Amino acid sequence: MSTLMTEPIVQVSPAWAVLAPLALLLFALAGAGLNGALAARSAGRPVRSGAGAPIAQVARLLRQRRQVTVAADVLLWRIGAGGLVIVAILKILVIPLGPWTLADLDVGVVWFNTMDVMIWALFWLIGWGANSAHALVGGYRFLSLAVSYELPLMFALITPAVAARSLRVGDVVAAQHDLWFVVWMPVAFVIFCGSVIAFSSWGPFATGAGRDIAGGFLADVSGVDRLLILTGRYAVLTAGAAFAVPLFLGGGAGPLLPDWLWTIVKTALVLAAFVAIRHKVPTIRPDRFAEVAWIIVLPAALLQVLVVAIISVGS
Amino acid sequence: MTSSLARWASTSVHVLIVQVPGWDESRMLLEAELDRRGWSVALSPADADLLAVCGIPGDELRAACDLVWDQLPGPRTRVSVTVAAALPTLLDGAVAHLVDDSRQRKDARARSQRVAAEDPRPDAGEHEGMAHGPMDHAAMDHGGMDMPMPGGIPLAGGGDDRDGLEMDILTVPLGPVLPHWPAGLVVECMLQGDVIVSAKARILQAASAPKEASKQAMTDVVDARRRIIRLCDQASQLLALAGWQAAEQNARWLRDDLLRGADLTDHGAALDRLRRRVERSTLLRWSLKGLTLTGSATRDDGADPSIRHRLIGWLREAAELAGTTPGGRPIAAHDANRAQEAQEAQDALDALPDLLRGTDLGTARLLIAGLGLDTAALRETHEHSHD
Repeated sequence: MSTLMTEPIVQVSPAWAVLAPLALLLFALAGAGLNGALAARSAGRPVRSGAGAPIAQVARLLRQRRQVTVAADVLLWRIGAGGLVIVAILKILVIPLGPWTLADLDVGVVWFNTMDVMIWALFWLIGWGANSAHALVGGYRFLSLAVSYELPLMFALITPAVAARSLRVGDVVAAQHDLWFVVWMPVAFVIFCGSVIAFSSWGPFATGAGRDIAGGFLADVSGVDRLLILTGRYAVLTAGAAFAVPLFLGGGAGPLLPDWLWTIVKTALVLAAFVAIRHKVPTIRPDRFAEVAWIIVLPAALLQVLVVAIISVGS
Repeated sequence: MTSSLARWASTSVHVLIVQVPGWDESRMLLEAELDRRGWSVALSPADADLLAVCGIPGDELRAACDLVWDQLPGPRTRVSVTVAAALPTLLDGAVAHLVDDSRQRKDARARSQRVAAEDPRPDAGEHEGMAHGPMDHAAMDHGGMDMPMPGGIPLAGGGDDRDGLEMDILTVPLGPVLPHWPAGLVVECMLQGDVIVSAKARILQAASAPKEASKQAMTDVVDARRRIIRLCDQASQLLALAGWQAAEQNARWLRDDLLRGADLTDHGAALDRLRRRVERSTLLRWSLKGLTLTGSATRDDGADPSIRHRLIGWLREAAELAGTTPGGRPIAAHDANRAQEAQEAQDALDALPDLLRGTDLGTARLLIAGLGLDTAALRETHEHSHD
């Protein structure tokens, strides 16, 4: 049962949904491979061995016993660990792959936002469930980071929707027919990218799992739980990278290649940039970041919405 | 299938390092060897396959090691690193243990039987506060159980926080097994959230110091090299905690090169480049802003007590030492030097409680790293005081 939209975005049969997690996990694996390769290169080891590191890590964690701490809140802990991958899958449901989409929601942008608010709960539960001090501090740290990034992220998400006058992701893509949104809303794009890195607890924003608190919310997870969390982090990073494509980078638009392939290529490039940032930028302390987020980033995001709104009304 | 899984898994072993005071060199050599193999340093026991104890721990530290050993999920194995030359063989042996499925199964079975045989309620003393957490093995005073405790853990008490609001207080020992942490140091903290309300510091000692055949015959060059290696190591720990991986790696490689006996003069320039890089970084300046060693933690010699300046000072001193040593700039006589180092370390340790009060965990870690606490020097003062 497929419905033809005004623009050529087609909702495909739900049966295709089985492919979505597969594609997501492949991307996540590729991201982890790139991360391993970059780490190996900077450490002066062969890049090939680094790229294979995620496979070794999966094998290692599948072999490892899962450790439970004393008086752990096991149910909530496991919900947190398993939830990340699920949230990432739910996120990509609304992302069109060229002309096709799995769920053409008329509030697709809000759907994505809802899912990333769920990540608050998940990281907090991972930190809480272990019943250990370092994990709990890791959970706190993620929440304090989330308080900093969430509002700017919401406005960054709304900006393309304002220009497209629709919360439907397909309409946002169609509105970029003449000019990609990244060109005239660069501030929103940068804030969006930063927030994706933050909600994935990645790179400069990975303080919730910091070295100074013995791995934070990762301190007490082992075996398959750890595997799920690490995979989940790459998966939400991938989902964020993929959402940047319809929102700011013109969706499947591009010369020569078919639309669906352009979507994949653009997603891969954005993901690669996200992964690479980890190896360039030092960690940003969450308490210091809060100041910047509220005094500089949030007003900048509001200003961007204002400018876009004025231009949209004027045209 | 399982054997190929094991083979794959063993290509990247995660190693939890326990360092005994005075055995820095064993730890550094181990870290260098791990780097070479592409293995990782585990941040907590739950992430570790291999427990590597660098040095010969005293009784208390050994008990802490055993507690940590219990927290390794398994497959697991442990090694004791005392002789540098045997390192590759030691680690190869550890891999053989890790991939040996039948051996690991036996270990796992023995563990679950032991747990089943124990009282269903774990010993309260061992789990006091949050003491089952990764690093919390120092709280081994076996308290009584006079109130209901979920899982054997007493409930957190309350207290006013720095804003005057009532908040839970947790007793959390930091150390002695913690990455980028002074060897053997235990800081017993009362935490509200991640803010330290009060702290007590002590050192878990080694059973014996490493053999130093050349202790008497040490030349100025050897002494200078040691000093540079130590400074690089301190700088890399601080950079790691500040989250700047690239610069940390840089400092660590310089350290490892010198450890392998690389030429000092060649490294003077490299150390100076690293110093300039650290000095120029705005992000580091921003993230270390306001972190200052107050009170009696440092000598009153007019030097800027901010953590960032101390870091830059270490690198500058290392670069200068490396640049001038072969030219014959003499270093102060050993004995005087050692006595002074010991006094500095003792002062720093005494100042810790005041320094940490009211800071959050992240800040506290940076401050402690900024002290550059030489716990091995402390051991010597203790020996002297016993004489």
